[in-house]
Amino acid sequence: MDSELALLNDYLIVGALLFGIGMIGFVSRRNMIVMFLAVEMMLQGVSLSLVAWSRFHNDFGGQMLVIFIIAVAAAEAAVGLALVLVLARRSGKLDITVWQQLREANQPPFQDPPLPPEPAQPPAWPKLTPAGLQPEVLPQQTDYRPKV
Amino acid sequence: MPNIPTLLILIPALPLAAALLTAALGKRLLRGQSHLPTVLGVGLSCLLSLLLVFQVHRGVQQPGQQQTGAQPQIGYEQLTRLWTWAAVDNAYAPAAQSSDSVGPQQSGGRDFQVEMVLRADPLTAVMLATVTFVSLLVVIYSIGYMHGDPGYWRFFSYIALFVFSMTMLVSVSNFVLLYIFWEAVGLCSYLLIGFWFHKPAAAAAGKKAFLVNRIGDCGLALALYLLWTTYGTLNFHDTSVPGILGQSMLGHPELYAGGGVATAICLLLMLGACGKSAQFPLHVWLPDAMEGPTPVSALIHAATMVTAGVYLVARCMPLFVASVDARHVVALIGGLTALTAALIALTQTDLKRILAYSTISQLGYMFLALGMGTLVGTTAGMFHLFTHAFFKALLFLGAGSVMHAMGGVIDIRQFGGLRHRLPATYWTFLFGCLALAGVWPFAGFYSKDAILAELLRGAGDPLVALLLWVALFTVFLTAFYTFRAFFVTFHGREQLPAEAEHHGHRPSSSMIVPLVILAVCSLVVGAYFEWTEGFAQFLAATPSLAYLGGATGAASDEAWSAAARQIVPIWSTLVGLSGIALAAAVYLGPRGRAQWLAAATDRMGLYQLSYRRFFVDEIYQFFVVRPMEALARLSYWIDRAVIDGLVNVFGMLPRLIGATLRPLQNGLVPFYALAMLLGLLALLGTLWM
Repeated sequence: MDSELALLNDYLIVGALLFGIGMIGFVSRRNMIVMFLAVEMMLQGVSLSLVAWSRFHNDFGGQMLVIFIIAVAAAEAAVGLALVLVLARRSGKLDITVWQQLREANQPPFQDPPLPPEPAQPPAWPKLTPAGLQPEVLPQQTDYRPKV
Repeated sequence: MPNIPTLLILIPALPLAAALLTAALGKRLLRGQSHLPTVLGVGLSCLLSLLLVFQVHRGVQQPGQQQTGAQPQIGYEQLTRLWTWAAVDNAYAPAAQSSDSVGPQQSGGRDFQVEMVLRADPLTAVMLATVTFVSLLVVIYSIGYMHGDPGYWRFFSYIALFVFSMTMLVSVSNFVLLYIFWEAVGLCSYLLIGFWFHKPAAAAAGKKAFLVNRIGDCGLALALYLLWTTYGTLNFHDTSVPGILGQSMLGHPELYAGGGVATAICLLLMLGACGKSAQFPLHVWLPDAMEGPTPVSALIHAATMVTAGVYLVARCMPLFVASVDARHVVALIGGLTALTAALIALTQTDLKRILAYSTISQLGYMFLALGMGTLVGTTAGMFHLFTHAFFKALLFLGAGSVMHAMGGVIDIRQFGGLRHRLPATYWTFLFGCLALAGVWPFAGFYSKDAILAELLRGAGDPLVALLLWVALFTVFLTAFYTFRAFFVTFHGREQLPAEAEHHGHRPSSSMIVPLVILAVCSLVVGAYFEWTEGFAQFLAATPSLAYLGGATGAASDEAWSAAARQIVPIWSTLVGLSGIALAAAVYLGPRGRAQWLAAATDRMGLYQLSYRRFFVDEIYQFFVVRPMEALARLSYWIDRAVIDGLVNVFGMLPRLIGATLRPLQNGLVPFYALAMLLGLLALLGTLWM
């Protein structure tokens, strides 16, 4: 019986971690897709604890509920991603703060604080003596995008 | 012949119907014919009132029919019950000490009931006949006088409403109803004084009349409360409980409360009467009320409404008998008013104001007579009321004719010598003046002598003796100021104001006919009723006055009236004629005499005192109006600053809360998510605790 309880504890801890991480992610991120992922993560955390409880009580109602949740999550993913797609198309950005028209009238819009100014000159890195050989890079292999 | 209940209902109902009809149809349909319903209604009402007098007279002559109960009926009264207007069960719980003051059967709770009961007794009949008769003549006169006025229909509607209210006032048999119609005639008076409301003076005069009357009405209302707490009823007649002026109370005079309560009731009633009948110190509204159309001045402010106070006191005479002090106050107020008003009238230059002060003075006479508290005094007062209604209405209508002819000018300094231009007005006005001055055989002679004789009878009392001298002096003053106005207006060099466009507008026949009828009345009514002695005997059959005959002992009356009939007429005629002679000497003689007299009295300060009306208005202005205005301003300030400020603060509160919470709605999804999260945590936190 103790092992059963320990197992339940472990599962519940993982579920709570998943839920908490998802929650923090949802609150702290502005990218719509990432937020969506965070929501999914919360959902899975809940599903996991449901399954654990179901196993603990030997009652399959919880597992059935999880099947439903998965089905609903699939549908939700379809709808949610479609919405995200439309919103991204209309604004050209994935940032959720672009969409804040539902604020009170006379309320100033939220604006990102201005970025700190770029340093005028690239920082002077210390010159170190090259150690070893610089690998040879072919020009046709360098078409990677440096800022992504 | 219709029976008394039918008559009693129809007499007020016809003018009311006329008022409603004129009000509903006058503006669009009747227009220039708006007088028709009123003339018809008031005319029929007048006819029925005369029938009522006849019926009541017959009832008085055959006292046997009216005896229904075991004890003989006091006086003659017939009640017509219409419906119960208000009823409260067990409204009256007598105080501990009141049971012995009001009678044995009055312990326990009692119901408050106001029944619409109209009463027919000689006092009511006389008042009804006077009111409707004068009203009819004034209404006919108004057809010519008000012709072409934009408010023609309004005028006749108001007048009919007034006749309704006044007839109800004198025929109801309950103090509450009396109070209601007391207010109703006040309202009509207000509406008619301010008839030309676009004229600031008229509007102000209406307001003044209304406000001054409020003071009196306040007294009347307090008197009603006191009557209720003392007697537990407000009916005149007996119901399940003995009415204040009902048979069982009159049969047992000891049931009337005495002492301080009786005095308080009577003084409060007198305050009400002072307001309505323009007695000192509440007389200030009546001269200003002359801003209204002249027929209104004749009807309401001379002949009928202002006599409501006299009627009230006469009706409540059994209450006044219970308090000697109150009667003295009534007599003193009457005498003082008669004298001061006559003194003021000496120097006024506005013809209508002279007549207004004369009205106040004559009403003072009536109160003087009522203050004697005897049957003869009361009937003398009522007789003076009756004759005064005719000749004062006549004088006012005559003044109205002059005003009409002079294009609205009423200042006697601006016209003169009109006797050739307005012959009919001249002669009728002369009749009115002779009646007012009390010259034999005009009506005023008889009624004034009746009052003086009653004063002479009570002259053993030093106060009454003083009042007798005051009254005699006032007779002299009355004769002087009346004929001053008459001579200045109609005699001397002819002079017309510019407004008359150098030709007098001739009065139309509808204006002359009432003048002639009233002139004939003021010649004959006094003599007729004096010779037949019908008036006093008829009135004495009124229950509340018949009681007086028993209470004060009528045995010595015969001897007295015989003695007084020889002395008083000689005195009063001599005094009156000397007044007329002085007026003739001053105003018919060389022009300088009037100025000399004015200058001589001015040097003593008397002229200004009279001309400025004893500064009563100024005193009120300083001691009442100014403080009231200051109080009003203070209240206004408090209202604006404190009350409104408080309300505004409460009104601002939601806006302030809204303003502080508004930034929460910033439209940012992460913020909402955070808020939800925090809310969830707070909820879980509270559940945890």
